[in-house]
Amino acid sequence: MILSVDDRRHAFEAEALPHLDSVYRVALHLARDATRAEDLVQDTMLKALRGWHQYQPGTNVRAWLLTILRNTFFTEYRQRQSRPEMADVDAIDDFSLYPLVEEADPAGRFFDQLVDETVLRAIDALPEEFRETLVLSDVEGLSYGEIAAITEVPLGTVTSRLSRARKALQHQLYAYAVEMGYIKRRSA
Amino acid sequence: MRWGPVGEVACLEALENLYPYLDGELTQELEAAVRRHLAACARCFPRFELERVFLRFLEARTRAQAAPVHVKERVFRAVFLRPGEPRGQ
Repeated sequence: MILSVDDRRHAFEAEALPHLDSVYRVALHLARDATRAEDLVQDTMLKALRGWHQYQPGTNVRAWLLTILRNTFFTEYRQRQSRPEMADVDAIDDFSLYPLVEEADPAGRFFDQLVDETVLRAIDALPEEFRETLVLSDVEGLSYGEIAAITEVPLGTVTSRLSRARKALQHQLYAYAVEMGYIKRRSA
Repeated sequence: MRWGPVGEVACLEALENLYPYLDGELTQELEAAVRRHLAACARCFPRFELERVFLRFLEARTRAQAAPVHVKERVFRAVFLRPGEPRGQ
């Protein structure tokens, strides 16, 4: 199907632009720098517009945009360790939140005291592959299958990365909540 | 069903499927098995509930973040007013 420039822009405006917030959020967590994230968003959307003929109408346009975003980030934007990441996610593989809060706060009310800023910072401290998996799932609500396609890994890898990313995040948020006095540290 | 609703094996199986269960990623059969287990197990139920609270909390703290207006304007300008191409009708 041949679309005129105007048709292409109209289709793009109607289908792709509504996902700008989503593209921006993922860009922010990948780049971890507002200025670079903004450039990344613009580059992604322009590439998507230029490549609009490759998008198959009726398929998942958000996943398509996020794939372009991710490829653009890894080929053009990624810098070496621009900010520190948690050293070793494997080390906290055994972490389990429930036993720690079972007595003091089994329903997790201490979460309510954690503000957005704290949570976003904790996410951005996750190592890259865990961060992107968690963001696509828990911030953007994509399915395991969509995440596997976007990040080009098997389904089982998505499942295990997601589980470990969530544990790592809980580990950090719990430590922070204890430090701030939102929850009592479990007595040994 | 591969495992009974109660007992230690059932707890381990349920825990192994904790996140896929909460994410709605299990097969119908497995999902039903986990649900049956949770209805019968006083140890696993609150643990799953805490994780459910955590996922809801995570969504609430992160998903509201929208692209700032200046980013939207920048992208809209780039998309609709690219030099070298005629403007719309």
